[in-house]
Amino acid sequence: MQTDPHILRAFDRDLHSVQALVVRMGALVEEAIGKAAQALHGRDDALANSVRREDAAIDALEEQINADCARLIALRQPNAGDLRTVLSVMKVASNLERCGDYAKNLGKRTTVLNQSAPIGGLSASVLRMAGAVQQQLHAALDAYIKRDADLAASVRARDSEIDQIYSALFREILTHMLEDPRTITGCMHLHFIAKNIERVGDHATGIAEQVIYLVTGALPADQRPKGDTTAFETGA
Amino acid sequence: MNDMRIVERDVNTQKAKITARGVQVHYGTTHALKDVNVDILANTVTAFIGPSGCGKSTFLRCLNRMNDTVASARVSGEILIDGENIYDKRVDPVQLRAKVGMVFQKPNPFPKSIYDNVAYGPKIHGMTRNKAELDEIVEKALRKAALWNEAKDRLNSPGTGLSGGQQQRLCIARAIATAPEVLLMDEPCSALDPIATAQVEELIDELRASFSVVIVTHSMQQAARVSQRTAFFHLGNLVEYGETGTIFTNPSDPRTESYISGRIG
Ligand SMILES: Nc1ncnc2c1ncn2[C@@H]1O[C@H](COP(=O)(O)OP(=O)(O)O)[C@@H](O)[C@H]1O
Ligand SMILES: [Mg+2]
Repeated sequence: MQTDPHILRAFDRDLHSVQALVVRMGALVEEAIGKAAQALHGRDDALANSVRREDAAIDALEEQINADCARLIALRQPNAGDLRTVLSVMKVASNLERCGDYAKNLGKRTTVLNQSAPIGGLSASVLRMAGAVQQQLHAALDAYIKRDADLAASVRARDSEIDQIYSALFREILTHMLEDPRTITGCMHLHFIAKNIERVGDHATGIAEQVIYLVTGALPADQRPKGDTTAFETGA
Repeated sequence: MNDMRIVERDVNTQKAKITARGVQVHYGTTHALKDVNVDILANTVTAFIGPSGCGKSTFLRCLNRMNDTVASARVSGEILIDGENIYDKRVDPVQLRAKVGMVFQKPNPFPKSIYDNVAYGPKIHGMTRNKAELDEIVEKALRKAALWNEAKDRLNSPGTGLSGGQQQRLCIARAIATAPEVLLMDEPCSALDPIATAQVEELIDELRASFSVVIVTHSMQQAARVSQRTAFFHLGNLVEYGETGTIFTNPSDPRTESYISGRIG
């Protein structure tokens, strides 16, 4: 991919500024996921509520990015690597927007969970998973900023680990519910939280795939390995 | 679909209409074209792009031996049309130019009537036996060039009285009146407004049903809009040749990418 400056320098400024918005959006989403996990861990209503409120800023950034990309396409008619840059900016922004929604949902469910007694051991597993997903998201955004297709490929390869954690957690949650039906409500919320975190992992993978497209001009052809087998689970 | 390629617009054939092998052109000591090898497809619009002076017009002029008229030009290598070497001694360049028509940058109608502009080629090539046949050829060419409706009531007024866009379509009608198989266009829209440009582009797209069209253009967007194949020239070399959608989303040579994205390469 070409990185020489454009003859028309305003074109470079437009491309830089829209990418800077994505980087800022990425930072906000990472922070939101981190805070949401912390709020869950610390049973912290105030922190959970602030994550819910702050999602609006992430949504607004996505809107601005889409508007800027539309202008850039109309006014600059980008080609080749420039075109792929604009297309990937829009995709990455949409991935990030979804991640922001999941963080917000985590905050919401945390405030509900906080109204009943903690469910032994389970939230530790959820936190471990959140940690792994945060690392994935961070690495995907890092690969995006550095245009590093190898780093992106490794993010993609690691997604199955998160799927596996999720599958294990799914069985753990089931066991809890079977053993003590009084925990069912809390377990349901925890399960949604786990599923949402797993989805954030998928979006991190989506961002990594955009990095590969951006750098090489083609999306990876192979199906990535799936570690989540819960769709086939039948219970105890 | 894994690589998000722009869906390739129909190319009906993989048949090569023109084959260039090892084509070199010198103007005196200037080495203008260096070992060009390419297959130009039948019923396909091929765009030649590249910075000024890279040899696009030179190569275009090789395809109908217009360089024969340039005293300092020396052409070597082979150019085959339908498998026949057009530089063979037995080939009559005048006949060749009826088969390989050309449209230039500036509309250049003869200072004659609209009718005579179109009738000129068929007349000198003895393509008709009588006035009725000639009328028919003129009407057909003007229809193909999308000029008939505007010109049919003023066939005897001078071609130079038409608007720029109409004049260019008249030149296209003149070029296609001799029933060519290949149409060469050297920046045919550079003197036209956007509406006339769109009309000529639409015409080019229709002409591809009957001809191979080769168009030199400085507008990347025009090349992208109108062609199915794109060739990028740089300093006398044919650097990259391929499907237009691929060239504009994912070119393989960094020189191509620099050029089409407006970079300081
Ligand atoms: N008639 C000519 N006599 C001498 N040099 C020429 C002539 N035509 C073109 N050239 C030279 O050949 C090179 C290629 O020119 P040309 O084919 O017109 O480029 P393009 O069409 O890509 O702008 C340039 O260096 C140009 O100066
Ligand atoms: Mg030229």
